[in-house]
Amino acid sequence: MTDPLPQAPSVDARVVDARLHLLDRQVLDVEGDPVATVDDLEIADLQYGERLPDRPAPTISALISGPILTTRLFGGRTPPGRLQKIGWDLVADLDIVFTLEVKSESLEVTWFERWLASRVIGRIPGGDHDPE
Amino acid sequence: MKAVLGLALGVLTAIGGFVDIGDLVTSSVVGSRFGLTLAWVIIIGVVGICLFAQMSGRVAAISGRATFEIIRERLGARVGFANLVASFLINLMTLTAEVGGIALSLQLATSLQPTLWIPVAAIAVWLVIWRVKFSILENVTGLLGLALIVFAVAVFLLHPDWQSLGGQLLLQSPSQGSETPATYWYFAIALFGSAMTPYEVFFFSSGAVEEHWTRKDLGQSRVNVLVGFPLGALLSIAISVTAAIVLLPHQIQVTSLSQVLLPVAQAGGTIAAIVALLGFVAATFGAALETTLSSGYSLAQYFGWSWGKFRRPAKAARFHLTMIICLVVGAGVLLTGVDPVQITEYSVVFSAIALPLTYLPILIVANDRDYMGDKVNGRVTNFFGLVFLVIIVIASVAAIPLMIISAAGS
Repeated sequence: MTDPLPQAPSVDARVVDARLHLLDRQVLDVEGDPVATVDDLEIADLQYGERLPDRPAPTISALISGPILTTRLFGGRTPPGRLQKIGWDLVADLDIVFTLEVKSESLEVTWFERWLASRVIGRIPGGDHDPE
Repeated sequence: MKAVLGLALGVLTAIGGFVDIGDLVTSSVVGSRFGLTLAWVIIIGVVGICLFAQMSGRVAAISGRATFEIIRERLGARVGFANLVASFLINLMTLTAEVGGIALSLQLATSLQPTLWIPVAAIAVWLVIWRVKFSILENVTGLLGLALIVFAVAVFLLHPDWQSLGGQLLLQSPSQGSETPATYWYFAIALFGSAMTPYEVFFFSSGAVEEHWTRKDLGQSRVNVLVGFPLGALLSIAISVTAAIVLLPHQIQVTSLSQVLLPVAQAGGTIAAIVALLGFVAATFGAALETTLSSGYSLAQYFGWSWGKFRRPAKAARFHLTMIICLVVGAGVLLTGVDPVQITEYSVVFSAIALPLTYLPILIVANDRDYMGDKVNGRVTNFFGLVFLVIIVIASVAAIPLMIISAAGS
């Protein structure tokens, strides 16, 4: 009788648990401003139903945020066009938060924040001033 | 002077969180019906809130993470969402009650109808959140809220029978068994819920982030908690005592805010009543600020939005929009003519139900070295944390059955 689970490969790098250390973590931009929370992860080129042992280990290609949260809460599937991704290549650091190497304004994930800021909140008198 | 003002966050959290409209009324109701036989609950509640507020403040200072980020992080999207929905609704109820409380206090002061004061109160709360710096907000409301000390003074002016009061503390019921055990325990949970309301830790931990607390500020955080909350508890007990001295012997049941004021007026006349009213306005205003901010904090932290008063509003647009909507909804609900006092009585019991989902993640993260480094909980803190978690779970499970059996304490 062989062990169904192969021995985990020994690694020098840090081992992180996707559910514990990646999902639901806060993402900050290069200046430390909050961007989003990691609602889901995009795994590169892994087909649905494909058996893991038959292929090389998949990699995480993007953090996903936004409408996809509803599928984690209630099930179902988000249309691919509505996925708001932050590419893994933008991640500068992973600690108790994700830190990106770009500013939050440059990301698609924050479009609603930017729209509200310029069209609604910024137009109310005092909306663009530091609190005194 | 700086050290004194440094206490402001604790004092505001306590004045607005501990002695809000819910507590003003609940303490007075309890005092007028049960004397001091429920004072032990306030004492247990204050130990609990000190313990967990201090823990959440420490987590915020060391890791920079406020409480709702941690709730989502540790409980996951689904359970975190359940907690968000519950906390947010309770918070909205409390916010509504507080704005109503400001209007009622102003009505007592001016005898203008509260309907006129509701929009004024809501807009004033919004303006302060929109424009005023966090430190000014805490100092002014915290200091004015101290006017409530007049209740403690009134206790002495009323020359009570200390022996009988002492006996009530030791559970010798003064009401000759006219109240059923279910009612007694229902009010015990209401008092416990109002002492440990989740928005106090949302506010305290987010306030720590707003003020950019770091490892260096841990001592200040501890002093804040240990001065602020016991002060709140003391004021809350003082309100109970005045009601127990003046209202209980006459079988007067507290159903409105003006009755909370009666004992003070009897003890110190008009001046004392005016000071107490000033305290009411400050405490309810402080609580309205806290609950409004907490509604923004909890939503923004769950979804990862940019938040905080230290940012200009346009830099935290969704956070500010949330608060505007909450204030509009709260004022709208009040304008339908509901009684804020009644809303507050329900909201404290509902908050008892939501307590475990808020306090468990704080306890877990306060033990996580990834977040806390060497500042994780010690054994004693963990022991008391677990003891309180058990109490919290019992209160949470018992709340609804007791509410039904006692017909919500009536």
